[in-house]
Amino acid sequence: MSRRVYLDHNASTPVHPEVLAEMLPYFGDVYGNPSSVHGFGREARAAVDVARERIAAFLRVRPDELVFTSGGTESDNFGLKGLALARGSGHLITSTIEHHAVLRSAQALEALGFAVTYLPVDQTGMIDPDDVRRALRPDTIAISIMHANSEVGTIQPVRAIGVLAREAGVPFHVDAVQTFGKIDVDVDALGIDALSFSSHKIYGPKGIAGLYIRRGTKMVSIQHGGEHERRRRAGTENVPGIVGLGKAVEIRGRDMRAEAERVTALRDRLWEGIRTRVPEVRLNGHPTERLPGTANIGYRNVESESIVLGLDLKGIAVSAGSACTAGNVEPSHVLVAMGVPLDWAMGAVRSSLGRSTTAEDVEYVAASVAEVVAKVRKAMPVGAA
Amino acid sequence: MRYSATLVDHFLNPRNAGLMRDADGSGSEEFEGCGDLTRFYLRVRDGRLAEARFQAYGCGPTIAAASVATELAAGRLLGDLSLLKAQDIEDALEGLPEDRKHAAEVAAGAMRAAALDALRRGNVDNGGA
Repeated sequence: MSRRVYLDHNASTPVHPEVLAEMLPYFGDVYGNPSSVHGFGREARAAVDVARERIAAFLRVRPDELVFTSGGTESDNFGLKGLALARGSGHLITSTIEHHAVLRSAQALEALGFAVTYLPVDQTGMIDPDDVRRALRPDTIAISIMHANSEVGTIQPVRAIGVLAREAGVPFHVDAVQTFGKIDVDVDALGIDALSFSSHKIYGPKGIAGLYIRRGTKMVSIQHGGEHERRRRAGTENVPGIVGLGKAVEIRGRDMRAEAERVTALRDRLWEGIRTRVPEVRLNGHPTERLPGTANIGYRNVESESIVLGLDLKGIAVSAGSACTAGNVEPSHVLVAMGVPLDWAMGAVRSSLGRSTTAEDVEYVAASVAEVVAKVRKAMPVGAA
Repeated sequence: MRYSATLVDHFLNPRNAGLMRDADGSGSEEFEGCGDLTRFYLRVRDGRLAEARFQAYGCGPTIAAASVATELAAGRLLGDLSLLKAQDIEDALEGLPEDRKHAAEVAAGAMRAAALDALRRGNVDNGGA
């Protein structure tokens, strides 16, 4: 086995060589603390400012509306808790298919006395804006909906929800970790007041991310200490990380559109290649309103982990839709929310393609999937599961 | 790789997979936590296992454990097989990670059930045991 194919870009991506090159000096010669007034500090501060301006230009926002954080999880915690705690009490609206960073933040707020409505999704994983309208209450203080789901890739009707939020005067947080740098995210057009975005999903380094906070949005900090990030997020800036994120974003501005088109075609080719070779398969997620590189495919009556293992042995990296730990299996909360029957949900495998994916990779993966699934099904009791 | 070469080999090339018609005994075991399921069909000659076939639904280790169990059990007395331990299967797989021990338990439970079923049917010579 020499061939290696990485189809897990929704989990993480390799750092772009240009990003790495840009970061390296900040692990070496430029090591000052951006808060220091001396020359060493000023060099670091200048690098942070350049990165912030690049990201602001990409998002078409003001640089001072951006706060750097340690990751998408922190951004989501900050977004949701920052909006809620600034208002003290009230009602929040989110959905059942959010990332755990949002879901568990919402649960933590429930424990503090906030009320939370978790909206359902349809069978394609899509939220109905009318459900948002119906869920709004006089005491609703925030709405948090993800832009696209990481597991099935369904892109949510964020624009329609943003209009409702505006009309109701309720701040709107969007977890855009899976869309930022992959598809266009226009915070003004979408009516977004707070936006979580990350670096390592777009060929930047891990350990750095950000939160956009629209100017004038009432928000409290959740991390206290020094006066960094205009007193919104304490802690010495991760200068190499910020430089890397800034460069990664600049590259996305250059490559995003062409790559989205190319990757979408490959994604559809992968589904075609599998659909025509393997019986009893289904595509989980929206047929068209979906992230460019994401294909979540269900194999009926097969356990996804056996497929992941079989493909891993062929050098292919994909991820399982159900997680089995110590003999306890948890079907994905997203597939459960979509109403995917258990005999399909247990066999869900996500492939997420990216900039390095080629047509040859896709053909190899489709053929390998057919081989592995046939083998696993051969050992399978008829009608089990 | 978190799995042994033997486990991977049995997962990729399962021995004796599939249904057996007119078996002398059959038995299955399901692991409640995750729904993993293993079923064995036994053919018996002179109180000893002549042939075993399996069907399994589950993760890679579960399939490998069922496969290795059919080899491990070949030629053994039904009485022995009715007492088969998960550790015997785990040893034959050259170990299992802590969170996949259930694979051997499911296979051992299914093999014990199948052996008991064959003994119960009584139409096989129990090898003088």
